[in-house]
Amino acid sequence: MFKKSHPLQSKSEIILRNIVVAAMVIFFSVFLIIPIGIAFAGSFHEWNPLSGTYNFLGLENYKQVFTSALFGKSMLNTLIFSVVVIIFRVGLGLGIAYAIYSTLVKYKSFFRAVYYMPVVTPMVAVAFVWKFMYNPQIGTVNQIFGLDVNWLMNPKTALLAVMIMTIWKDFGYAVVMYMAGLYSLPADALEAARVDGANAWQTFRYVTLPLLKPMTLFVVINSIIAYIQAYVQILIMTEGGPGTATYLASYIIYDEAFVKYNFGYASALSFVLFVITAVFSWLSFRVSGTEE
Amino acid sequence: MKKRMIAAMMAATLAVIGLTGCGGSSDNKAADDTAKVEVPTEPFGDTIKYDPTVEINDGKDISVELWEWGSDDLFQQVIDGYTAIHPNVSIKLVNNPWEDYWTKLPLALDGENGPAIFNIHNSYHENLINYLAPLDIPVEDLQADFTGVDAHVIDGNVYYIDYGMMTGSVYYNKAMWEAAGLTEADIPKTWDEMREVAKKLTIKDGDKLIQAGLNFNDDFHQNYLLGLNYQLGENLFLEDGKTPNVNSDAMKQIMQMLVDMYEVDGVGSKDFGEKGSDSFGQGQSAMVIQWGHYYNTLKTTWSNIDFGVFEIPTFDGNPYAYNRYNGESTFGVNKNAPADQQAVAQDFIKYFLANDDAQIAFNLAMSTFPAKKSLADNEQILANPSLKVLSEHIDHYIWPGPMPATVETSLKKAGEDIFFNGVDIDTALNEAQENIIKDMKNSSFVSVENLYAYAK
Amino acid sequence: MRRKISSIALNVLLLMLGVITVYPFVWMLCSSFKKNSEIMALEQHLLPQEFILDNYVNMNAHFNFLRFFVNSLVITLVVTVLVVYTSTLCGFVLSKYRFKGRNLIFGFVLSTMMVPWCVTIIPKYSMIQSFGWMDSYKALIIPAMFSGFGIFMMKQHIASLPDEILEAARIDGANEFYIFQRIVFPMAKNGISSIAIFQFLWTWEDFLWPYLVINTQEKQLLAVGLKMFNGQYSTDYGALFAATAISIIPVLLIYLFFQKQFIAGIAASAVKG
Repeated sequence: MFKKSHPLQSKSEIILRNIVVAAMVIFFSVFLIIPIGIAFAGSFHEWNPLSGTYNFLGLENYKQVFTSALFGKSMLNTLIFSVVVIIFRVGLGLGIAYAIYSTLVKYKSFFRAVYYMPVVTPMVAVAFVWKFMYNPQIGTVNQIFGLDVNWLMNPKTALLAVMIMTIWKDFGYAVVMYMAGLYSLPADALEAARVDGANAWQTFRYVTLPLLKPMTLFVVINSIIAYIQAYVQILIMTEGGPGTATYLASYIIYDEAFVKYNFGYASALSFVLFVITAVFSWLSFRVSGTEE
Repeated sequence: MKKRMIAAMMAATLAVIGLTGCGGSSDNKAADDTAKVEVPTEPFGDTIKYDPTVEINDGKDISVELWEWGSDDLFQQVIDGYTAIHPNVSIKLVNNPWEDYWTKLPLALDGENGPAIFNIHNSYHENLINYLAPLDIPVEDLQADFTGVDAHVIDGNVYYIDYGMMTGSVYYNKAMWEAAGLTEADIPKTWDEMREVAKKLTIKDGDKLIQAGLNFNDDFHQNYLLGLNYQLGENLFLEDGKTPNVNSDAMKQIMQMLVDMYEVDGVGSKDFGEKGSDSFGQGQSAMVIQWGHYYNTLKTTWSNIDFGVFEIPTFDGNPYAYNRYNGESTFGVNKNAPADQQAVAQDFIKYFLANDDAQIAFNLAMSTFPAKKSLADNEQILANPSLKVLSEHIDHYIWPGPMPATVETSLKKAGEDIFFNGVDIDTALNEAQENIIKDMKNSSFVSVENLYAYAK
Repeated sequence: MRRKISSIALNVLLLMLGVITVYPFVWMLCSSFKKNSEIMALEQHLLPQEFILDNYVNMNAHFNFLRFFVNSLVITLVVTVLVVYTSTLCGFVLSKYRFKGRNLIFGFVLSTMMVPWCVTIIPKYSMIQSFGWMDSYKALIIPAMFSGFGIFMMKQHIASLPDEILEAARIDGANEFYIFQRIVFPMAKNGISSIAIFQFLWTWEDFLWPYLVINTQEKQLLAVGLKMFNGQYSTDYGALFAATAISIIPVLLIYLFFQKQFIAGIAASAVKG
């Protein structure tokens, strides 16, 4: 890794490096840093593009964020949503990938392709399909399982129903990630475990799993980022209802920004969410004890 | 190998689907374009007259955009009629689906190249009013030809009016009606009668609902809460026209009635039929209260349901007003558009208002009662049963003005909280009241309920 | 024997999970050949009772859905190619060159992945407006040219390529552009396929951004088009399902054809975290 790189820097290397670095810096400044700056400034203002208002408010927006019962509730929902979906995504992904990886299963690429199908389908589309499947009278879910549950309108099941849909859509991603991880495991480590007389479970627990840690971290962090920002499924399946039972943090932001045009308040909400995302990502790095 | 085969098979299926999918469409359009358009040569209209001999834009070519969310054919017909008179004008129709429309139109109008003409829905009044140019038709002329114009006068100007009025009526399933032994004479006039009829129309197997007598799932806020208050003599806004009045005793009484109908009378259930409108179409619910647009839904999606329509019941037979109505609005003119485009837009709207055929076509398409006075007893209009039931008392409906969407969404939340989350009526309605006040903090909305012809 | 039983059990289990996974698609595909009244009918059958193609035929009559499809395909391919190229290039520079500030830049690139869409979308929207890029594909392509995720993946991937080959080429007098185009690029093909698939999928399904910046209907993209079936008063489910069926295909095909490289690419990039 830290092998000494070639000592002489050729002219073409310097040119290429400068171009690339300059391009990256310019691009990310224009489309990331400056927007963040504008949003940050905006979060201290009453900012509504329709009425053309842009008045300084100080910390008012942030005060509103932290005193809003709805935001608190939606953060709790987001937390439950993210934790549950991530656990199932990782668990199912790892389990299924390991099963497909094992010598017991034929038709590996068939399964891999099948499980990946929901991942490549637009969320807007599958959310509509699932909304239909959850219909209390004519929905597939109740019909197949012989239930009589008003999935999306019962406050006890609504968020659960959205989570099930999300798990269904996303677990295939983790399957493919873990397959990739499993295929690149060093054969000698597994062989050594076998020679030492470890059984299948022990090999999995003490050799495979630790070796897959970077992949787990990768999947978890990607998931945290994705789920804290999830809103499309809510927008289509429940609109936050019944009442406000399924409000997620990002859904409020969407609602405030593009339904009510409260850009200032929406920006304040976004920054709070930004900080939370960063904290959770950092925490997962810490918990896993990985550097970089 | 296997995966390649799957892929190849999928590709093949797709190609077939793709081919069938795209084949049919292009030719019908060409046929429509050449449809015969009669070019009028004489001025037409009532008070507002349109003179087709007057050149527009001095006969020079000009092109404008018209944005709308509805059915392209309907708009295209009017455009074709207009461009037949003025071949130098071309009007480009831009269709956006309903939800996208309201996200994008205000933003487009904020930029430089917004459309010169755009369709308006009054629920988005506030997002649009700052971009609207006043109509250059005299207000008295508009008032002479159309009802409900007063509510649209702002500082002596009118920016758009309604071409039609939509409101709620009761739709009932005739087969179920007969099966329950009911006749024409049983059509309820009061809510008490309505509840009795609903009970007769309800079929249960033990505790399990088989057929609901009445279903208001997913639309109770639209079709009951925001409207029946008028029957009890209570407005949706207090006298200042700004403070909502959704936690009034009237509102509580209506909410209580809804709860009682499901929980005491048992004529329906919150879990029976996700949407009342679908459940009626599926033949699971015997009655629903729906607004005019439902007539078209029944005709297209649920064509096998034999239905009748009757006027909304009242509490005492002599209501302050029967219900809330909402207008389907005419187009608006973008005040930031170039002057020549604005002139075309103004002229186009005048053409639309003077043209009876266009007025009838739009009203029938939306199942709205025409605001144009001369069309109130038009045969084509009265042939539509959902419009016929309105004709007797159409002057006894109130438009509160372009209420911000939060009034509706907050009441929907309140109702869901009551039915699904076990919140009591007082708390839920108080919360709705607070939410509406908060969301309307910067709103310029003022209720026009006091302009009702029979206002107290 | 025991092995055989567990093999069967495992296969059956996976198959059942597969059925659950695929069932919504089958249901959707079948529904796309039904009339709306049948889709919403009380009596539900998986197979259409009355088989119709109207949803596919009318879909195009209404919105020119085929046009959306082609637009999406073009934009998605352009963005994907650009992102693959910029990611590989940046990945190459960040992994194989040593210079001051390299780690700073890489850390910065990493942190860009953590910025939620909602923070930047409002200002980005106003910026696009003031650049005069509204309703033009510039608004879809230019802000998407670099991807923090792509750079991160490619940096990891290219770091695993042996330095010796590059050195050998340098000794032969090849300049860096040549080395990148002719050596690094081909060698990174697994990483490239995984980035390509991710990026294709994201661009293909992104809906808020095109929905905000594209106004003219002829220019609109597919994911936005899917929402168009949600009307003022009702949703046209039949047409929606037909459109969805069509919209899934390209991504699925791309995945099916490149899945081997895709998985190898992920293996090479992510595991080295």
